[in-house]
Amino acid sequence: MFSLLSPSNIFYWIGKLITFINSIFFILLIVALSFALIFSPPDYLQGDSVRIMYVHVPSAWIGLASFTCIALLSIANFIFKTKNLIIITKSIAPLGLMFTCLAIITGSLWGQPTWGTWWAWDARLTSMVILALFYIGYIVAHKFILPDEKANKISSIIVIVGLINIPIIKFSVDWWNTLHQPASIKLIGTNTIHSSMLTPLLLMFFVMLLYCALIFLMKYKTEIIRMKKKNLKRL
Amino acid sequence: MIQNFLSMNGYGLYVWAAFSITLISCVLVFYKTQKTLKKHEREFAKEINELSAEKRKSVMENSKIASQVLSSFSKTI
Repeated sequence: MFSLLSPSNIFYWIGKLITFINSIFFILLIVALSFALIFSPPDYLQGDSVRIMYVHVPSAWIGLASFTCIALLSIANFIFKTKNLIIITKSIAPLGLMFTCLAIITGSLWGQPTWGTWWAWDARLTSMVILALFYIGYIVAHKFILPDEKANKISSIIVIVGLINIPIIKFSVDWWNTLHQPASIKLIGTNTIHSSMLTPLLLMFFVMLLYCALIFLMKYKTEIIRMKKKNLKRL
Repeated sequence: MIQNFLSMNGYGLYVWAAFSITLISCVLVFYKTQKTLKKHEREFAKEINELSAEKRKSVMENSKIASQVLSSFSKTI
């Protein structure tokens, strides 16, 4: 059982997974894009601008989920002190930052035709910008602080503090009066979105998750090779 | 029909901009990540090849990862 989790086995399976995702990704992307741009109906109020939702919402979900993941793994690292956890968080962070920025940019592109403005300093939008700043802080700490132990400590503190921002983002639309609409998709309770729009949304989300998995595995593989290279120099 | 699809009833600029920005950034990040991975694989394989025959043998015997990188790298060239 434990031999399955040995670094060489993990390395082998990462290679296999990358090849598998590469082989199915393009077909799934085309299916998801066809649903998002062609088969899904326009909104009765927002018209075709509603299609921006299919990139905006999954990007925001991934941005939030990645940050929560990094913060929880950083807490786990404080307890268990495993180098592997740091490699995982370091590989997730750039992806999270990219998707948070994409959520902000596509949101701005959706805001102009819908609200009549590119930007408003309202609770949801501002808290998303703060999330992007926390991501930048985390990445910069890892890049510029030496030695590595100090960088790990500071970056972990940054994300754990940033974790407070996650519920603020989630509930900002309920706690304050914002331009941003409340959530239509709920884990508990009834969804207020029709299945003709929910299907492309979930498809796009799945494709973006696959993309994240692909990039994460490639980054993780790079980190393993980098570590092995360091060990080689010690010989 | 194609005209309608492209103009998206007047929202074309916003919709296409949102989708293209997302797609372009994803493609750029993919290529950058792939380039970095290949670079490290290449350098790692080169360093193994530069080792003395004895050391190389012991590395290949002890590290499955080293042998996997070396074999996958030699497949690509």
